Amino acid sequence: MDLFFHPKPRVEDFEAAAMPHFPDLYRTARLLAQDSTEAEDLVQEVYLEAWKSFHRFQTGTNCRAWLFKILHHRLHHFRRRWAKAAKVEALENPEDQDSLIAETPVPQEIRDEDVLQALGRVPIEFREVVLLADVQEFSYKQIAETMQVPLGTVMSRLSRGRKLLRQELAGVAHSFGITPAKDPPRAGESA
Amino acid sequence: MNLLNFNSEQCGRIRRHLDAYLSNELLVETTSDVLRHLESCEACSRELEARTRVRDALRRVAVSQIPPEELRQSIQRQLRKRQPGFLGGSRRLTWAVALAGVIVVVLGGIATEQWIRVLRGRRIVASVLALGVSDHLQCAIKGHNYPNIANPPEQLRQKLGPQYAGLLQVVQQKLPGFEILEAHICSVQGSPRKYVHFIARGRGTILSVILTRSEGAQFPNGKAFRSGAFGSVNLYEAHLEGMNAAGFESKEYLGFVVSDLSQDTMVQIASELAPPLKAALDAGSVSEARVDQDAAPCARGAGASRPRVLIT
Repeated sequence: MDLFFHPKPRVEDFEAAAMPHFPDLYRTARLLAQDSTEAEDLVQEVYLEAWKSFHRFQTGTNCRAWLFKILHHRLHHFRRRWAKAAKVEALENPEDQDSLIAETPVPQEIRDEDVLQALGRVPIEFREVVLLADVQEFSYKQIAETMQVPLGTVMSRLSRGRKLLRQELAGVAHSFGITPAKDPPRAGESA
Repeated sequence: MNLLNFNSEQCGRIRRHLDAYLSNELLVETTSDVLRHLESCEACSRELEARTRVRDALRRVAVSQIPPEELRQSIQRQLRKRQPGFLGGSRRLTWAVALAGVIVVVLGGIATEQWIRVLRGRRIVASVLALGVSDHLQCAIKGHNYPNIANPPEQLRQKLGPQYAGLLQVVQQKLPGFEILEAHICSVQGSPRKYVHFIARGRGTILSVILTRSEGAQFPNGKAFRSGAFGSVNLYEAHLEGMNAAGFESKEYLGFVVSDLSQDTMVQIASELAPPLKAALDAGSVSEARVDQDAAPCARGAGASRPRVLIT
Protein backbone atom coordinates (compact mmCIF):
# COMPACT_ATOMS: atom_id res chain seq x y z
CA MET A 1 0.00 0.00 0.00
CA ASP A 2 2.93 2.24 0.77
CA LEU A 3 4.01 1.93 -2.83
CA PHE A 4 0.92 3.55 -4.19
CA PHE A 5 -0.47 5.70 -1.42
CA HIS A 6 2.44 7.44 0.25
CA PRO A 7 1.68 11.13 0.69
CA LYS A 8 3.08 13.40 -1.97
CA PRO A 9 6.29 14.98 -0.64
CA ARG A 10 6.71 18.73 -0.91
CA VAL A 11 10.06 20.15 -1.85
CA GLU A 12 9.55 22.88 0.74
CA ASP A 13 9.29 20.26 3.48
CA PHE A 14 12.39 18.53 2.19
CA GLU A 15 14.37 21.74 2.09
CA ALA A 16 13.26 22.69 5.58
CA ALA A 17 14.44 19.34 6.92
CA ALA A 18 17.57 18.77 4.84
CA MET A 19 19.12 22.08 3.84
CA PRO A 20 20.18 23.12 7.38
CA HIS A 21 22.69 20.23 7.22
CA PHE A 22 24.17 21.45 3.96
CA PRO A 23 27.27 23.02 5.59
CA ASP A 24 28.09 19.89 7.61
CA LEU A 25 27.63 17.66 4.59
CA TYR A 26 29.75 19.87 2.40
CA ARG A 27 32.55 20.10 4.94
CA THR A 28 32.65 16.36 5.42
CA ALA A 29 32.46 15.75 1.67
CA ARG A 30 35.21 18.29 1.08
CA LEU A 31 37.54 16.52 3.51
CA LEU A 32 36.68 13.14 2.05
CA ALA A 33 36.98 14.12 -1.59
CA GLN A 34 40.12 14.91 -3.50
CA ASP A 35 39.03 18.40 -4.47
CA SER A 36 36.17 20.86 -4.19
CA THR A 37 34.59 19.80 -7.50
CA GLU A 38 34.37 16.20 -6.34
CA ALA A 39 32.94 17.39 -3.04
CA GLU A 40 30.28 19.49 -4.75
CA ASP A 41 29.28 16.61 -7.01
CA LEU A 42 29.08 14.34 -3.99
CA VAL A 43 26.90 16.72 -1.97
CA GLN A 44 24.64 17.37 -4.93
CA GLU A 45 24.13 13.65 -5.46
CA VAL A 46 23.39 13.21 -1.77
CA TYR A 47 20.61 15.81 -1.89
CA LEU A 48 19.07 14.51 -5.11
CA GLU A 49 19.19 10.96 -3.80
CA ALA A 50 17.66 12.08 -0.51
CA TRP A 51 14.86 13.92 -2.30
CA LYS A 52 14.06 10.81 -4.37
CA SER A 53 13.59 8.78 -1.22
CA PHE A 54 12.17 11.55 0.95
CA HIS A 55 8.73 9.89 0.91
CA ARG A 56 10.32 7.08 2.93
CA PHE A 57 11.87 9.43 5.46
CA GLN A 58 9.98 9.48 8.73
CA THR A 59 9.38 12.98 9.95
CA GLY A 60 10.79 13.45 13.42
CA THR A 61 13.69 11.03 12.95
CA ASN A 62 17.27 12.18 12.64
CA CYS A 63 17.48 13.86 9.24
CA ARG A 64 21.17 14.66 9.70
CA ALA A 65 22.05 11.01 10.33
CA TRP A 66 19.89 10.00 7.37
CA LEU A 67 21.74 12.41 5.06
CA PHE A 68 25.12 11.21 6.27
CA LYS A 69 24.05 7.66 5.65
CA ILE A 70 23.26 8.60 2.05
CA LEU A 71 26.60 10.40 1.89
CA HIS A 72 28.31 7.21 2.99
CA HIS A 73 26.56 5.19 0.26
CA ARG A 74 27.30 7.75 -2.44
CA LEU A 75 30.88 7.78 -1.29
CA HIS A 76 31.27 4.19 -2.45
CA HIS A 77 30.38 5.25 -5.99
CA PHE A 78 32.84 8.08 -5.85
CA ARG A 79 35.58 5.93 -4.41
CA ARG A 80 35.84 4.09 -7.69
CA ARG A 81 37.05 7.33 -9.18
CA TRP A 82 39.52 7.90 -6.45
CA ALA A 83 42.38 5.71 -7.46
CA LYS A 84 44.46 6.64 -4.50
CA ALA A 85 42.16 5.03 -1.97
CA ALA A 86 44.29 2.77 0.14
CA LYS A 87 43.48 -0.79 1.04
CA VAL A 88 41.76 -1.07 4.37
CA GLU A 89 42.31 -4.78 4.70
CA ALA A 90 46.02 -4.50 5.28
CA LEU A 91 45.59 -1.90 7.99
CA GLU A 92 42.91 -3.88 9.70
CA ASN A 93 45.34 -6.75 10.01
CA PRO A 94 46.24 -7.08 13.72
CA GLU A 95 49.93 -7.39 12.85
CA ASP A 96 49.88 -3.83 11.59
CA GLN A 97 48.61 -2.55 14.87
CA ASP A 98 51.96 -2.94 16.55
CA SER A 99 53.48 -0.29 14.36
CA LEU A 100 50.76 2.08 15.45
CA ILE A 101 51.09 1.56 19.16
CA ALA A 102 54.00 3.92 19.59
CA GLU A 103 52.66 7.43 20.00
CA THR A 104 53.76 9.74 17.24
CA PRO A 105 54.84 13.21 18.31
CA VAL A 106 52.45 15.96 17.30
CA PRO A 107 53.84 19.22 15.94
CA GLN A 108 53.40 22.21 18.20
CA GLU A 109 52.12 24.24 15.32
CA ILE A 110 49.55 22.52 13.15
CA ARG A 111 48.76 24.41 9.99
CA ASP A 112 45.48 23.95 8.13
CA GLU A 113 47.21 22.98 4.92
CA ASP A 114 49.20 20.34 6.81
CA VAL A 115 46.00 18.87 8.18
CA LEU A 116 44.46 18.80 4.73
CA GLN A 117 47.52 17.15 3.24
CA ALA A 118 47.82 14.62 6.06
CA LEU A 119 44.14 13.84 5.98
CA GLY A 120 44.32 13.18 2.26
CA ARG A 121 46.87 10.45 2.95
CA VAL A 122 44.68 8.61 5.43
CA PRO A 123 42.74 5.81 3.75
CA ILE A 124 39.20 6.92 3.20
CA GLU A 125 37.56 4.26 5.38
CA PHE A 126 39.49 5.58 8.38
CA ARG A 127 39.20 9.19 7.33
CA GLU A 128 35.42 8.88 7.16
CA VAL A 129 35.15 7.52 10.71
CA VAL A 130 37.52 10.16 12.06
CA LEU A 131 35.51 12.94 10.42
CA LEU A 132 32.17 11.57 11.61
CA ALA A 133 33.44 11.17 15.18
CA ASP A 134 35.80 14.12 15.64
CA VAL A 135 34.23 16.76 13.40
CA GLN A 136 30.55 15.83 13.20
CA GLU A 137 30.55 14.38 16.73
CA PHE A 138 28.41 11.38 15.89
CA SER A 139 28.33 8.69 18.55
CA TYR A 140 29.90 5.30 17.86
CA LYS A 141 26.41 3.83 17.57
CA GLN A 142 25.32 6.41 15.02
CA ILE A 143 28.48 5.87 12.99
CA ALA A 144 27.95 2.12 13.07
CA GLU A 145 24.40 2.61 11.76
CA THR A 146 25.51 5.09 9.13
CA MET A 147 28.28 2.89 7.79
CA GLN A 148 26.44 -0.33 8.52
CA VAL A 149 29.41 -1.88 10.29
CA PRO A 150 29.72 -3.37 13.80
CA LEU A 151 30.44 -1.06 16.72
CA GLY A 152 33.85 -2.71 17.22
CA THR A 153 34.82 -1.86 13.66
CA VAL A 154 33.95 1.78 14.30
CA MET A 155 36.11 1.84 17.40
CA SER A 156 39.10 0.19 15.76
CA ARG A 157 38.86 2.33 12.63
CA LEU A 158 38.60 5.49 14.68
CA SER A 159 41.61 4.56 16.79
CA ARG A 160 43.73 3.69 13.78
CA GLY A 161 42.43 6.61 11.79
CA ARG A 162 43.49 9.04 14.47
CA LYS A 163 46.91 7.46 14.72
CA LEU A 164 47.36 7.46 10.98
CA LEU A 165 46.39 11.11 10.81
CA ARG A 166 48.87 11.88 13.52
CA GLN A 167 51.60 9.98 11.73
CA GLU A 168 50.89 11.71 8.47
CA LEU A 169 50.71 15.04 10.21
CA ALA A 170 54.12 14.50 11.79
CA GLY A 171 55.53 13.49 8.43
CA VAL A 172 54.11 16.54 6.67
CA ALA A 173 55.26 18.87 9.44
CA HIS A 174 58.74 17.36 9.42
CA SER A 175 59.03 17.90 5.68
CA PHE A 176 58.34 21.58 6.29
CA GLY A 177 60.89 21.73 9.11
CA ILE A 178 58.38 21.96 11.92
CA THR A 179 59.62 20.36 15.10
CA PRO A 180 57.34 17.88 16.78
CA ALA A 181 56.51 18.39 20.41
CA LYS A 182 58.75 16.31 22.59
CA ASP A 183 57.35 13.34 24.42
CA PRO A 184 57.78 13.30 28.17
CA PRO A 185 60.71 11.19 29.33
CA ARG A 186 59.96 7.63 30.18
CA ALA A 187 60.66 6.14 33.60
CA GLY A 188 64.34 6.22 34.41
CA GLU A 189 65.02 8.92 31.85
CA SER A 190 66.05 12.45 32.74
CA ALA A 191 64.36 15.41 31.15
CA MET B 1 66.41 17.45 36.47
CA ASN B 2 62.75 16.56 36.42
CA LEU B 3 62.17 12.85 36.84
CA LEU B 4 58.74 11.56 35.97
CA ASN B 5 57.38 8.18 36.88
CA PHE B 6 55.91 6.22 34.03
CA ASN B 7 53.82 3.26 35.07
CA SER B 8 53.70 1.56 31.67
CA GLU B 9 51.07 -0.99 32.65
CA GLN B 10 48.63 1.57 34.02
CA CYS B 11 49.42 4.11 31.29
CA GLY B 12 48.89 1.49 28.65
CA ARG B 13 45.49 0.66 30.12
CA ILE B 14 44.49 4.32 30.30
CA ARG B 15 45.72 5.10 26.83
CA ARG B 16 43.59 2.34 25.41
CA HIS B 17 40.67 4.31 26.80
CA LEU B 18 41.81 7.68 25.50
CA ASP B 19 40.05 7.38 22.13
CA ALA B 20 36.74 6.61 23.79
CA TYR B 21 37.41 9.30 26.40
CA LEU B 22 38.03 11.81 23.66
CA SER B 23 34.76 10.79 22.01
CA ASN B 24 32.90 10.90 25.30
CA GLU B 25 31.98 7.25 24.94
CA LEU B 26 33.27 5.95 28.26
CA LEU B 27 31.15 4.84 31.17
CA VAL B 28 31.15 7.20 34.13
CA GLU B 29 33.30 4.87 36.26
CA THR B 30 35.94 4.46 33.57
CA THR B 31 35.95 8.19 32.93
CA SER B 32 36.69 8.72 36.64
CA ASP B 33 39.59 6.25 36.42
CA VAL B 34 41.00 8.06 33.41
CA LEU B 35 40.68 11.47 35.07
CA ARG B 36 42.32 10.22 38.26
CA HIS B 37 45.23 8.85 36.27
CA LEU B 38 45.59 11.98 34.18
CA GLU B 39 45.87 14.06 37.32
CA SER B 40 48.92 12.13 38.39
CA CYS B 41 50.48 11.24 35.00
CA GLU B 42 51.97 14.01 32.98
CA ALA B 43 52.89 11.69 30.11
CA CYS B 44 49.30 10.59 29.58
CA SER B 45 48.07 14.17 30.06
CA ARG B 46 50.42 15.25 27.31
CA GLU B 47 49.25 12.39 25.15
CA LEU B 48 45.65 13.43 25.65
CA GLU B 49 46.58 17.02 24.93
CA ALA B 50 48.32 15.93 21.72
CA ARG B 51 45.29 13.99 20.58
CA THR B 52 43.01 16.87 21.48
CA ARG B 53 45.21 19.23 19.54
CA VAL B 54 44.99 17.07 16.43
CA ARG B 55 41.23 16.82 16.79
CA ASP B 56 40.86 20.56 17.29
CA ALA B 57 43.03 21.21 14.26
CA LEU B 58 40.82 18.90 12.27
CA ARG B 59 37.71 20.72 13.44
CA ARG B 60 39.28 24.06 12.63
CA VAL B 61 40.09 22.90 9.12
CA ALA B 62 36.58 21.53 8.67
CA VAL B 63 34.99 24.81 9.75
CA SER B 64 37.25 26.69 7.37
CA GLN B 65 35.69 24.85 4.44
CA ILE B 66 33.05 27.37 3.41
CA PRO B 67 30.12 25.75 1.60
CA PRO B 68 29.65 27.52 -1.74
CA GLU B 69 26.39 29.42 -1.88
CA GLU B 70 26.15 28.66 -5.60
CA LEU B 71 26.12 24.94 -4.79
CA ARG B 72 23.23 25.41 -2.36
CA GLN B 73 21.27 27.38 -4.96
CA SER B 74 22.06 24.86 -7.68
CA ILE B 75 20.79 22.03 -5.50
CA GLN B 76 17.61 23.92 -4.67
CA ARG B 77 17.00 24.68 -8.35
CA GLN B 78 17.38 21.02 -9.23
CA LEU B 79 15.10 19.97 -6.41
CA ARG B 80 12.34 22.25 -7.67
CA LYS B 81 12.78 20.93 -11.19
CA ARG B 82 12.24 17.45 -9.83
CA GLN B 83 9.16 18.34 -7.84
CA PRO B 84 6.96 15.30 -8.38
CA GLY B 85 3.65 15.50 -10.16
CA PHE B 86 0.42 13.86 -9.11
CA LEU B 87 2.11 10.47 -9.05
CA GLY B 88 4.13 11.40 -5.97
CA GLY B 89 7.51 10.96 -7.65
CA SER B 90 7.50 7.20 -7.45
CA ARG B 91 9.06 5.71 -10.55
CA ARG B 92 7.37 2.38 -9.91
CA LEU B 93 4.04 4.11 -9.52
CA THR B 94 4.60 6.01 -12.75
CA TRP B 95 5.27 2.76 -14.55
CA ALA B 96 2.29 1.10 -12.91
CA VAL B 97 -0.03 3.90 -14.01
CA ALA B 98 1.45 3.88 -17.51
CA LEU B 99 0.93 0.12 -17.72
CA ALA B 100 -2.61 0.47 -16.40
CA GLY B 101 -3.21 3.13 -19.05
CA VAL B 102 -2.01 0.82 -21.80
CA ILE B 103 -4.20 -1.97 -20.46
CA VAL B 104 -7.20 0.34 -20.30
CA VAL B 105 -6.58 1.51 -23.86
CA VAL B 106 -6.19 -2.06 -25.13
CA LEU B 107 -9.19 -3.37 -23.23
CA GLY B 108 -11.16 -0.29 -24.21
CA GLY B 109 -10.27 -0.91 -27.84
CA ILE B 110 -11.31 -4.54 -27.58
CA ALA B 111 -14.53 -3.62 -25.77
CA THR B 112 -15.32 -0.93 -28.32
CA GLU B 113 -14.69 -3.34 -31.17
CA GLN B 114 -16.92 -5.92 -29.49
CA TRP B 115 -19.59 -3.33 -28.88
CA ILE B 116 -19.52 -2.19 -32.52
CA ARG B 117 -19.62 -5.83 -33.62
CA VAL B 118 -22.65 -6.49 -31.41
CA LEU B 119 -24.39 -3.38 -32.69
CA ARG B 120 -23.74 -4.39 -36.28
CA GLY B 121 -24.90 -7.93 -35.57
CA ARG B 122 -28.13 -6.74 -33.99
CA ARG B 123 -28.78 -4.47 -36.93
CA ILE B 124 -28.37 -7.47 -39.27
CA VAL B 125 -30.72 -9.58 -37.10
CA ALA B 126 -33.30 -6.78 -37.19
CA SER B 127 -32.97 -6.33 -40.94
CA VAL B 128 -33.45 -10.05 -41.61
CA LEU B 129 -36.44 -10.26 -39.26
CA ALA B 130 -37.83 -7.14 -40.95
CA LEU B 131 -38.61 -9.39 -43.94
CA GLY B 132 -41.01 -11.47 -41.87
CA VAL B 133 -42.51 -8.46 -40.10
CA SER B 134 -43.09 -6.74 -43.43
CA ASP B 135 -44.73 -9.85 -44.91
CA HIS B 136 -46.94 -10.23 -41.82
CA LEU B 137 -48.02 -6.61 -41.88
CA GLN B 138 -48.62 -6.42 -45.62
CA CYS B 139 -50.33 -9.73 -46.17
CA ALA B 140 -52.04 -10.55 -42.89
CA ILE B 141 -52.65 -7.28 -41.09
CA LYS B 142 -53.05 -4.63 -43.80
CA GLY B 143 -54.03 -7.02 -46.62
CA HIS B 144 -56.27 -9.06 -44.29
CA ASN B 145 -55.70 -12.07 -46.53
CA TYR B 146 -57.44 -14.52 -44.26
CA PRO B 147 -61.05 -15.45 -43.74
CA ASN B 148 -62.93 -14.98 -40.49
CA ILE B 149 -63.78 -18.65 -40.57
CA ALA B 150 -60.77 -20.87 -41.15
CA ASN B 151 -60.41 -22.41 -44.56
CA PRO B 152 -60.64 -26.18 -44.47
CA PRO B 153 -57.27 -27.95 -44.16
CA GLU B 154 -57.70 -29.66 -47.51
CA GLN B 155 -58.12 -26.30 -49.18
CA LEU B 156 -55.03 -24.99 -47.39
CA ARG B 157 -52.98 -28.00 -48.47
CA GLN B 158 -54.12 -27.39 -52.01
CA LYS B 159 -53.02 -23.75 -51.83
CA LEU B 160 -49.67 -24.78 -50.47
CA GLY B 161 -49.15 -27.38 -53.13
CA PRO B 162 -47.66 -30.82 -52.63
CA GLN B 163 -44.20 -29.56 -51.67
CA TYR B 164 -45.43 -27.43 -48.74
CA ALA B 165 -48.68 -29.18 -47.84
CA GLY B 166 -46.86 -31.36 -45.36
CA LEU B 167 -45.82 -28.33 -43.38
CA LEU B 168 -49.45 -27.55 -42.47
CA GLN B 169 -49.65 -30.45 -40.07
CA VAL B 170 -46.39 -29.39 -38.38
CA VAL B 171 -47.69 -25.87 -37.92
CA GLN B 172 -51.05 -27.09 -36.61
CA GLN B 173 -49.39 -29.44 -34.13
CA LYS B 174 -46.83 -26.93 -32.90
CA LEU B 175 -49.29 -24.06 -32.52
CA PRO B 176 -51.60 -25.31 -29.79
CA GLY B 177 -54.30 -22.80 -28.98
CA PHE B 178 -54.10 -21.30 -32.46
CA GLU B 179 -56.42 -21.88 -35.37
CA ILE B 180 -54.88 -21.89 -38.85
CA LEU B 181 -57.10 -19.57 -40.84
CA GLU B 182 -55.12 -19.40 -44.04
CA ALA B 183 -52.06 -20.84 -45.75
CA HIS B 184 -50.74 -19.85 -49.14
CA ILE B 185 -47.66 -19.00 -51.14
CA CYS B 186 -47.27 -15.30 -51.57
CA SER B 187 -45.01 -13.16 -53.69
CA VAL B 188 -43.64 -9.71 -52.88
CA GLN B 189 -44.69 -7.09 -55.37
CA GLY B 190 -41.69 -5.78 -57.30
CA SER B 191 -39.46 -8.53 -55.98
CA PRO B 192 -38.68 -12.06 -57.08
CA ARG B 193 -38.94 -13.19 -53.49
CA LYS B 194 -41.80 -15.49 -52.53
CA TYR B 195 -42.82 -16.93 -49.20
CA VAL B 196 -44.99 -19.61 -47.66
CA HIS B 197 -47.44 -17.93 -45.30
CA PHE B 198 -49.47 -19.51 -42.51
CA ILE B 199 -51.94 -17.13 -40.82
CA ALA B 200 -53.24 -18.26 -37.46
CA ARG B 201 -55.56 -16.78 -34.85
CA GLY B 202 -55.24 -17.35 -31.13
CA ARG B 203 -54.63 -15.65 -27.81
CA GLY B 204 -56.65 -12.71 -29.09
CA THR B 205 -54.41 -11.89 -32.03
CA ILE B 206 -53.26 -12.83 -35.52
CA LEU B 207 -49.96 -14.67 -35.88
CA SER B 208 -47.98 -15.40 -39.05
CA VAL B 209 -45.57 -18.21 -39.74
CA ILE B 210 -43.52 -17.27 -42.78
CA LEU B 211 -40.94 -19.30 -44.70
CA THR B 212 -38.87 -17.75 -47.48
CA ARG B 213 -35.73 -18.64 -49.36
CA SER B 214 -32.77 -16.90 -47.77
CA GLU B 215 -31.26 -15.77 -51.09
CA GLY B 216 -28.00 -14.82 -49.41
CA ALA B 217 -29.58 -13.22 -46.37
CA GLN B 218 -28.55 -14.83 -43.09
CA PHE B 219 -28.40 -14.21 -39.42
CA PRO B 220 -24.97 -13.28 -38.02
CA ASN B 221 -22.86 -15.82 -36.18
CA GLY B 222 -22.32 -15.40 -32.48
CA LYS B 223 -24.02 -16.11 -29.22
CA ALA B 224 -24.40 -12.42 -28.57
CA PHE B 225 -27.00 -12.10 -31.28
CA ARG B 226 -29.24 -15.09 -30.73
CA SER B 227 -32.00 -15.52 -28.17
CA GLY B 228 -31.41 -19.20 -27.67
CA ALA B 229 -30.46 -22.49 -29.24
CA PHE B 230 -32.96 -25.33 -29.48
CA GLY B 231 -31.24 -28.43 -30.73
CA SER B 232 -29.43 -27.43 -33.87
CA VAL B 233 -31.67 -24.40 -34.38
CA ASN B 234 -30.67 -20.92 -33.33
CA LEU B 235 -33.43 -18.40 -32.62
CA TYR B 236 -33.25 -14.66 -33.15
CA GLU B 237 -35.70 -12.02 -32.08
CA ALA B 238 -36.46 -8.34 -32.55
CA HIS B 239 -39.19 -5.81 -31.90
CA LEU B 240 -40.04 -4.05 -35.13
CA GLU B 241 -42.93 -1.79 -36.14
CA GLY B 242 -44.97 -2.73 -33.09
CA MET B 243 -44.52 -6.44 -33.74
CA ASN B 244 -42.38 -9.04 -32.07
CA ALA B 245 -40.63 -11.38 -34.41
CA ALA B 246 -38.64 -14.55 -33.82
CA GLY B 247 -36.63 -16.11 -36.62
CA PHE B 248 -34.55 -19.13 -37.49
CA GLU B 249 -32.79 -20.47 -40.55
CA SER B 250 -32.40 -23.78 -42.34
CA LYS B 251 -30.00 -24.58 -45.11
CA GLU B 252 -31.92 -22.57 -47.69
CA TYR B 253 -34.79 -20.93 -45.87
CA LEU B 254 -35.45 -18.26 -43.34
CA GLY B 255 -38.37 -18.83 -41.00
CA PHE B 256 -40.30 -16.14 -39.10
CA VAL B 257 -42.99 -16.14 -36.47
CA VAL B 258 -44.54 -12.69 -36.13
CA SER B 259 -47.32 -11.23 -33.99
CA ASP B 260 -47.93 -8.58 -31.36
CA LEU B 261 -47.59 -11.10 -28.53
CA SER B 262 -44.76 -10.62 -26.05
CA GLN B 263 -41.21 -11.38 -27.05
CA ASP B 264 -40.96 -14.23 -24.57
CA THR B 265 -44.12 -15.76 -25.99
CA MET B 266 -42.83 -15.43 -29.53
CA VAL B 267 -39.52 -17.07 -28.65
CA GLN B 268 -41.39 -19.85 -26.87
CA ILE B 269 -43.69 -20.44 -29.88
CA ALA B 270 -40.74 -20.27 -32.29
CA SER B 271 -38.76 -22.71 -30.20
CA GLU B 272 -41.58 -25.27 -30.70
CA LEU B 273 -42.03 -24.60 -34.40
CA ALA B 274 -38.46 -24.10 -35.61
CA PRO B 275 -36.91 -27.56 -35.11
CA PRO B 276 -39.56 -29.58 -37.00
CA LEU B 277 -39.92 -26.92 -39.71
CA LYS B 278 -36.14 -26.78 -40.20
CA ALA B 279 -36.00 -30.57 -40.35
CA ALA B 280 -38.74 -30.66 -42.97
CA LEU B 281 -37.15 -27.89 -45.04
CA ASP B 282 -33.70 -29.44 -44.84
CA ALA B 283 -35.15 -32.80 -45.89
CA GLY B 284 -35.59 -31.33 -49.37
CA SER B 285 -39.29 -31.85 -49.64
CA VAL B 286 -39.66 -28.31 -50.90
CA SER B 287 -38.63 -27.34 -54.40
CA GLU B 288 -38.21 -23.89 -55.76
CA ALA B 289 -40.11 -24.89 -58.91
CA ARG B 290 -43.22 -25.61 -56.95
CA VAL B 291 -42.90 -22.35 -55.01
CA ASP B 292 -42.60 -20.38 -58.20
CA GLN B 293 -45.49 -22.20 -59.76
CA ASP B 294 -47.88 -21.72 -56.90
CA ALA B 295 -46.90 -18.19 -55.94
CA ALA B 296 -49.40 -15.40 -56.24
CA PRO B 297 -48.95 -11.77 -55.23
CA CYS B 298 -50.50 -10.77 -51.96
CA ALA B 299 -52.84 -7.83 -51.88
CA ARG B 300 -50.76 -4.98 -50.60
CA GLY B 301 -51.62 -1.71 -49.07
CA ALA B 302 -50.47 1.57 -50.48
CA GLY B 303 -46.73 2.15 -50.28
CA ALA B 304 -45.92 -1.50 -49.96
CA SER B 305 -42.32 -2.11 -50.81
CA ARG B 306 -39.76 -4.80 -50.63
CA PRO B 307 -38.10 -4.93 -47.23
CA ARG B 308 -34.53 -3.88 -47.43
CA VAL B 309 -32.01 -6.35 -46.13
CA LEU B 310 -28.86 -4.99 -44.67
CA ILE B 311 -26.04 -7.38 -45.28
CA THR B 312 -22.65 -5.95 -44.65
